[in-house]
Amino acid sequence: MKIGIPRALLYHYYGVFWEEFFKELGHEVIVSPHSNKEIVDTGIKSAVPEICVPIKIFLGHLKYLIYEKNVDYAFVPRMISIHKGEIFCPKFMGLPDLVKNGSPEISDRILTTYIESKTENISNYKNYISLSDKLNANEEDIKRASRKANIKWLEFRRNTLRGIPADKAAEMVKKNTVYKKNNSNNIKIAVVGYVYNVYDPFLSMDILDKLHDLNVDYMTFEMLDNKTIFSQISHLKKRLFWTFSNKLLGAGYYSLKNHNIDGLIHLTAFGCGPDSFLGKLFEIESDIRQKPFMTIRIDEHTGENHLQTRIEAFVDMLKRKKEKESA
Amino acid sequence: MSNKVSFPYLGHVIVYKKFLQMMGFEVIMPPAPTQKTIDLGVKYSPEFACIPFKMLMGNYIEACELGANTIISSGGHGPCRAGFYGEVHQRILRQMGYDVNFIIFDSPKRDLFGTIKKFFKIKNKQSISKMVKVSKVVFPVLKDLDTFEKKIHTMIPYEINKGQSLEVWREIYKIYDEVYSQKELLEARAEGHRMIDSIKLRKVNDDEKIKIGIVGEIFVVIEPSINMDVENLLCSLGCEAERSLYLSEWVEHNIFGEKHEKTIQDLGEKYIEILIGGHAKTTVGNIVDFKNRGFDGIIHLMPFGCLPELVSQSVIPKITSDHDIPVLTLSIDEQTGKSNNLTRIEAFIDLIRNKKTKEKVFSGGKK
Ligand code: SF4
Ligand code: SF4
Repeated sequence: MKIGIPRALLYHYYGVFWEEFFKELGHEVIVSPHSNKEIVDTGIKSAVPEICVPIKIFLGHLKYLIYEKNVDYAFVPRMISIHKGEIFCPKFMGLPDLVKNGSPEISDRILTTYIESKTENISNYKNYISLSDKLNANEEDIKRASRKANIKWLEFRRNTLRGIPADKAAEMVKKNTVYKKNNSNNIKIAVVGYVYNVYDPFLSMDILDKLHDLNVDYMTFEMLDNKTIFSQISHLKKRLFWTFSNKLLGAGYYSLKNHNIDGLIHLTAFGCGPDSFLGKLFEIESDIRQKPFMTIRIDEHTGENHLQTRIEAFVDMLKRKKEKESA
Repeated sequence: MSNKVSFPYLGHVIVYKKFLQMMGFEVIMPPAPTQKTIDLGVKYSPEFACIPFKMLMGNYIEACELGANTIISSGGHGPCRAGFYGEVHQRILRQMGYDVNFIIFDSPKRDLFGTIKKFFKIKNKQSISKMVKVSKVVFPVLKDLDTFEKKIHTMIPYEINKGQSLEVWREIYKIYDEVYSQKELLEARAEGHRMIDSIKLRKVNDDEKIKIGIVGEIFVVIEPSINMDVENLLCSLGCEAERSLYLSEWVEHNIFGEKHEKTIQDLGEKYIEILIGGHAKTTVGNIVDFKNRGFDGIIHLMPFGCLPELVSQSVIPKITSDHDIPVLTLSIDEQTGKSNNLTRIEAFIDLIRNKKTKEKVFSGGKK
């Protein structure tokens, strides 16, 4: 069978796992290409206008796979939890509902399952056993595929923890390539944002590459281990309910405190609810810590020049600040 | 420093006031929200925060200006942004220079009773029995107010003396504001019923009545100052209006574990399989429930950008086609031009009225 995986949302974090999983079961896996204008426009037409851009983009990829690539099924997991006591943004938890009822005409082409785990390792075969009928696999197959997929995913995570950005880290696992990061004594910026924003070139305009070209080091949340991240927010009386938002919060707080990091960029998509709070908390904390902070809000219309100018200005400012401090 | 307690302005606020006063607290009544409240809230909130957050921000600032130093609130029962509101509100208020504490009563799962015990300093039998006594007055007050309010919104469209029903409702509200004992409660109730019965109504055939259900996120459904007073608006257009949410029901569900809401959620299950936070599943279930109860149309209210309600909105077209029930979604923010929404509501009601007349003619012809 042809199984499609939209290159959107958590594909950028769990794609390595899902691809390997379906392949191991003998299926052909088709991943949609990087977002482009057409995909995005389809997504916009398929969604209610107010919903956040990443969800629109997801719908665009989904339709692309079904209508352009004619896949038998497209994979739309229902993400519930990957951390004890926390859940996902409502849009993730309701994603299959939104897809099936919003576009009833494709509802029988959707492959979906509940993903619920105490940690971010989602390899427990029970998460996928409900797919066995559609995938023509028995329990043993599902177990084996989960195990194999997990090996790859763990490798991917080891890469990110070594400071390699998620897209490159995934490529290394899939294509056995090597990636060298230029570690310099330059400015270092933390870019805090969801994987589906940072690694979608249509949205982020390859912000990480832009920084790289400006000779700037960068850090993203997936380069920090969970212990470091969650220790940053243990003092809060209440945490957000959403795991990835909490990870961003922890990573953001960490970078505002850490002396090796010169500034923080919060990359956020237009219409993102959880981020409205993160942004405020970063703003307050950056005031207290006296560390430069900038929000970049992206949507389907963000102009590349505008983004470039803002990043350059931010980097210049950090450089001047650093020179002054070391003088 | 003595505690000066305030709370969110949401629905029948006299009830919270009464409860706290009777428990012996000094209460700072939050001013009824005005444009200034909204402006203040917007100014100090994150730009993309949902409107309930901004309204509460404005409320709290105004309460702090009046000297409040403790704010009691609820995290909301669906895990959504609301659960995190207090944390951010407090930080913003502190940044503004107000030294204020937050007490958040969460849904039972997160040790509701522990928090209540600590806050109300419940240590011994005496204090428990006091609390029980107070609740026995305050909860029925809330319940009665909800009942009367619901009733009033089935009467306004048919009243003979324009404005009488609302006047009666305001009177009733005032009477209940003075209730502090069982005896006064019973008196108020009798008086309320008497007053309601005194309203003269036109006779209208059932098939000529238009009934509209209001569903959506709790804050914008309940608080008239943010939802254009939608129930009365609908009434003034000649419709009966009923909300899906009344605070007393919320209390019954969340504190006394009442099962009604569960039943409603089951109705929503076909469209949204699990609880995704906020009220989405309930919203969807309520649409089906209203339809089953013979309502003619639904107004779906959601804060602009509301995460769970956006999922509801996405599945509504399917519900409309499955159940043949018209739904109008209105998203609400600080700029929601009243006139724009007004036009949309009017058009919606016209549509329903026409549909109804046509159906009547049609079924009449068949006989
Ligand atoms: S976290 Fe934000 S961007 Fe992601 S799905 Fe939820 S609202 Fe959209
Ligand atoms: S349910 Fe909607 S309004 Fe309530 S906190 Fe969540 S996003 Fe905001």
